[in-house]
Amino acid sequence: MTDSKYFTTTKKGEIFELKAELNSDKKEKKKEAVKKVIASMTVGKDVSALFPDVVNCMQTDNLELKKLVYLYLMNYAKSQPDMAIMAVNTFVKDCEDPNPLIRALAVRTMGCIRVDKITEYLCEPLRKCLKDEDPYVRKTAAVCVAKLHDINAQLVEDQGFLDTLKDLISDSNPMVVANAVAALSEIAESHPNSNLLDLNPQTINKLLTALNECTEWGQIFILDCLANYTPRDDRESQSICERVTPRLSHANSAVVLSAVKVLMKFMEMLPKDLDYYGTLLKKLAPPLVTLLSAEPELQYVALRNINLIVQKRPEILKHEMKVFFVKYNDPIYVKLEKLDIMIRLASQANIAQVLAELKEYATEVDVDFVRKAVRAIGRCAIKVEQSAERCVSTLLDLIQTKVNYVVQEAIVVIKDIFRKYPNKYESVIATLCENLDSLDEPEARAAMIWIVGEYAERIDNADELLESFLEGFHDESTQVQLQLLTAIVKLFLKKPTETQELVQQVLSLATQDSDNPDLRDRGYIYWRLLSTDPVAAKEVVLAEKPLISEETDLIEPTLLEELICHIGTLASVYHKPPSAFVEGSRGVQHRRIPPRAGSVESAESPDVGQSGSSEAPPAVIPSQGDLLGDLLNLDLAPPTSTVPSVQPSMQMGAMDLLGGGLDSLLGGDIGGSPSMGAGLGAAPTVMPAALGGAPAVGGGLGDLFDLGGGVGMPTGFYVVPKTMWLPAMKAKGLEISGTFARRGGIIQMDMSLTNKAMSVMTDFAIQFNRNSFGMAPAGPLQVLTPLSPNQTIDVSLPLSTNGPVMKMEPLNNLQVAVKNNIDVFYFSCQFPLSLLFVEDGKMERQVFLATWKDIPNDNEAQFQIKDVHLNSDAASNKLQGSNIFTIAKRTVEGQDMLYQSIKLTNSIWVLAEMRVQTGNPNYTLSIKCRAPEVCQFVYQCYEMVLKN
Amino acid sequence: MISQIFILSSKGDHLIYKDFRGEASKDSINVFYEMVTALSGDQPPVVMTHKDHHFIHVRQGGLYWVASTKTNPSPFTIIEFLNRLAALTKDYCGSLSEKSVRMNFALIYELLDEMVDFGYIQTTSTDILKNFIQTEAVSSKPFSLFDLSNVGLFGAETQQSKVAPSVAASRPIMSSRGEQGGKNEIFVDVIERLSVVIGSNGVLMKADIQGEIRIKCFLPTCSEMRIGLNEELNIGKSQLKGYSSAVRVDECRFHQAVKLDEFDNFRILKVCPSQGEQTVMQYQLCDELPCAPPFQLFPSVEKDYVNRVLIFLKLRCDLPPKSTALNVSITVPVPKGSVSMSQELSSPDQTAELQPKSKALLWEIPRFPGGAQLSALFKVDVPGLSSASLLEVGPVSMSFELPKQTCTGLQIRFLRLSPTQTGLSQRWVRYVTHSDSYTIRI
Repeated sequence: MTDSKYFTTTKKGEIFELKAELNSDKKEKKKEAVKKVIASMTVGKDVSALFPDVVNCMQTDNLELKKLVYLYLMNYAKSQPDMAIMAVNTFVKDCEDPNPLIRALAVRTMGCIRVDKITEYLCEPLRKCLKDEDPYVRKTAAVCVAKLHDINAQLVEDQGFLDTLKDLISDSNPMVVANAVAALSEIAESHPNSNLLDLNPQTINKLLTALNECTEWGQIFILDCLANYTPRDDRESQSICERVTPRLSHANSAVVLSAVKVLMKFMEMLPKDLDYYGTLLKKLAPPLVTLLSAEPELQYVALRNINLIVQKRPEILKHEMKVFFVKYNDPIYVKLEKLDIMIRLASQANIAQVLAELKEYATEVDVDFVRKAVRAIGRCAIKVEQSAERCVSTLLDLIQTKVNYVVQEAIVVIKDIFRKYPNKYESVIATLCENLDSLDEPEARAAMIWIVGEYAERIDNADELLESFLEGFHDESTQVQLQLLTAIVKLFLKKPTETQELVQQVLSLATQDSDNPDLRDRGYIYWRLLSTDPVAAKEVVLAEKPLISEETDLIEPTLLEELICHIGTLASVYHKPPSAFVEGSRGVQHRRIPPRAGSVESAESPDVGQSGSSEAPPAVIPSQGDLLGDLLNLDLAPPTSTVPSVQPSMQMGAMDLLGGGLDSLLGGDIGGSPSMGAGLGAAPTVMPAALGGAPAVGGGLGDLFDLGGGVGMPTGFYVVPKTMWLPAMKAKGLEISGTFARRGGIIQMDMSLTNKAMSVMTDFAIQFNRNSFGMAPAGPLQVLTPLSPNQTIDVSLPLSTNGPVMKMEPLNNLQVAVKNNIDVFYFSCQFPLSLLFVEDGKMERQVFLATWKDIPNDNEAQFQIKDVHLNSDAASNKLQGSNIFTIAKRTVEGQDMLYQSIKLTNSIWVLAEMRVQTGNPNYTLSIKCRAPEVCQFVYQCYEMVLKN
Repeated sequence: MISQIFILSSKGDHLIYKDFRGEASKDSINVFYEMVTALSGDQPPVVMTHKDHHFIHVRQGGLYWVASTKTNPSPFTIIEFLNRLAALTKDYCGSLSEKSVRMNFALIYELLDEMVDFGYIQTTSTDILKNFIQTEAVSSKPFSLFDLSNVGLFGAETQQSKVAPSVAASRPIMSSRGEQGGKNEIFVDVIERLSVVIGSNGVLMKADIQGEIRIKCFLPTCSEMRIGLNEELNIGKSQLKGYSSAVRVDECRFHQAVKLDEFDNFRILKVCPSQGEQTVMQYQLCDELPCAPPFQLFPSVEKDYVNRVLIFLKLRCDLPPKSTALNVSITVPVPKGSVSMSQELSSPDQTAELQPKSKALLWEIPRFPGGAQLSALFKVDVPGLSSASLLEVGPVSMSFELPKQTCTGLQIRFLRLSPTQTGLSQRWVRYVTHSDSYTIRI
């Protein structure tokens, strides 16, 4: 006998017939009838009229029948709340049944009946079931608490179910633990401030133990819960990582991804030089690779996640390029994702392989894929300079195929290559021009026009080419029109004599015959420029273009951080934060990776990292922070500043900007932080300190964006006036004087180059010898124009601290080699150590105390700072401007003791105690550091900062 | 958290619908069906959004298995779960089809109730589930020779004698309860998928093998089974020493029920198989093939007359002489303007045709013995042929099956049930290699 007959079409009297059958005495017949009812329910027929009859069948000891009736109840109880009450008694009775299956079934079903009146009756049975002797009942009851909470949260709290649920985390049965964790996690999400899921080392330990025993699905709940925990220190996070790592070889990909999420997050806390860190990196690659052998659906989801992981930590998969090569039978959406990852992983080491693959792809059938492959070749050229030439020749080969969309795509990317490497590949322009007629897409046409305009002086018939576009000017898209306008103006500036007519024509087309405001405005601007000041026009239109970035489509770092915390969830597939697509309060919590233990800046409230930002609208604040940073950098730190210290008037400007900005940002919080309030109210002289103090506000602000780094520094860092580093006599006429500065967290070497020789100097380059702190130029020396005799040029060279390290004598010595077209010259200079004081150098109080005790007394050095006429607060503010942070202040018998911390770029911590006696201009400074060599130089910085 | 689960037929009929959290209405079924049928080819179908409702689905047995959610769950969890649900349905109902789902709806509802509670996945293990499930499965055609539901997996064996009939493995696992109808059988399959890229110069550019050992168990009770693999099996890249003929894999993963205490020394997997189908071990080997790739192609592409391309293909099978490749098909992309084709093939059982839709020619060879060499000549008419369009020919892709073969060389030495079962139990070991993606560039 088959069940399919239940689906046969119904006639009018069917409900009636069913009613009769439901009331039959025979059990078999009853069961069949209920089955028929449920079949009708599934296909969407309304069988609610049978409610009383079905409920009547509930009192049976046949489990199969009971299950069917409960199934019906769950579906219709909501629409018939009054009748549902009829079922309550049976539920309550079933909760006492000797058979655990029936007890569990009753509790499970009651939770699913979302009728308020019933929930009241549910409490007592639920309380019993939570303490049931059978784990199957307990695990069902644990979930039921979450169900009840969803219907009536207040009731759950009043009845104390949450505490019982917390106790279940210590249950002996892993399945019960897993369900309790899942239920608590969900309840906790709707109460972001409650400390429901109190994760402490003991509970974490219990969870890790349960992890090894429970089902794969339970493991997922537990791992997801672990991911929300913030370990206290790197040792704890290492031990958790060690216990989670075995999950990476689980056959269920969901377990693997949840484990990856935990590891990616906790890895952030491990010191990078730790051996274990390297081991962990190696262990992460194989499971990710294995995911790519799954079915296409899983592959796609895996690739979207790998895309995030590769952006965060490219080193994990840098040797696995081959697995991302596409297979001919991959679905197109998998192919496109793979291509994206291939480009992200492309480097000098594997570029040959990648290019060969991309070239193959460019001849495939699928148009979208081919286009993306061609684009990818262009991106390789821009990313890996060494490969540019090969990429260009590959693109030319592809243009030869004359396949329309390939040609157009190739031209678009060649434009970018021209931008990146100007004046290098012009030889291909002729080939490009041959294909002018086949271009029918706006983007390709615009690209081609740009090329013609940019290299107008090298293309003989540039005017004819551009003129041919002009004929159908009004039919072109805006993109092409704008580009055409600019290109013709460029052409005119380069060949003014023969193109006057053309430029007249395009200007009148753009200004008079067009109703596009952008086009018209641009037309008018050019027109006025050309008519009033052709020289200025030249400077504007033919100006140096900013470099284009190597990586495209990168996810913004703050979003990336958040997405990394959501690896393996829908957010990681959409590449959107959960708040963007999940309604209501659930899931709106913003997660972020915990900072390294040593650099906790928001130390006052350790759990701030998880919930602190949830109160403010998160999308707005970071961008505002960026804006502030930008404004300040723009106004206050011109890269070639020759002014030794920043002018007070500018500081005032900064204060206004910030004052308003911070006020509105911080809102009510401001009153709660004394240092901040004082700082804003005080005179302009203490302004830098107050800004530097921003991290002290802690919670709300400090962890939203690194205000201390972006904003505090430009005004606060004391810059020594330039000194002579290389006299002209020693360097065949080149004179270099310079100084160092730290602006916005970036170390800069400001130099004035003067040519005292008779001939022009060109081709400047700079290199450093290995030095104590690994300082190295972060970019090339930007001397763009040749240096003519008697000319002085100011350059500002950004430095990084990732270079090779060698101990120098003295410690802060820097040996520099400068090259020009004449010769190579060497000099050495000394930098103030305060250059290396980082913005997040504020230590937590407890950590400070522990560290102070921990460092042996032999490492302590004492110094006297004489003739300082500042009180302790002013001194501390001033020091803060140079990233010397005051952690605590104690006043003992008229003597102020300031406890201060400094962190160097190489993560060495320096602790200091400064004693200030009121009325005494001499300070006593005790410095403690694990590397005592630096003490002397730290003292020098103190002296320098306090006396200037 | 899963909000709803539903199963739809390919035509959109509602077969199963279960709401776990009461946060969405039943309309979402129709919304989903409209979205999934309106999807164009290049959009990823995996996750779809409608307002704040997210659908994740897989297709198995011609049915849509869909989960919907309103929160931010792990799509991996849901896809794995839906696949598991389909597998369990197959285990319990015998086969996976619209009919079997319709007939066993009560059973599937019961299963779903135990597997998911309030959107939290509880268990998917048959061992645990069998304690709770009351409904008997209804089997559609208990022993029909025409049941082709397993062709994908066991298709190769139907051509072989002395192998268990393919339908033997497609019957409900629970149907024998109470009666002594079913046979005590256990099937162990070693299935490998091969992806290969061969460069235009004949050099092997990339090779991957994905393998798995799958058990399908019909034994009502089974205490422990020991599966012995090759003793010289090496795992990991560094362990290969000397020039022994060792079998090597890069990495392997095991089902969580597998006990590995004898694996390190004796390469024995110990498992207590639960009833139904499960994958006990997955392994992979990258960038290296222990043997020569099974097929070598020697192509030549020429422009013949003004509007004709000559494609001459010589294909050699490098399998050992006793083995045979089955269902070999070769796809060669041809220039876009191709209108017609004539061919010369070496035997009548081969076929070749031009597929205008995909712009490719398809050459099919039902049986290809090891060591043999076949050749074919295709003349394709392309009006307006240019030298650039010759570039559009290739790369060649192939698909095939290699029954009784594993490319890694992984073998099952023995299969022991302990303690020895009372009554007769039949044990079957089967090997098959499928081509996953076999590409030869021209």
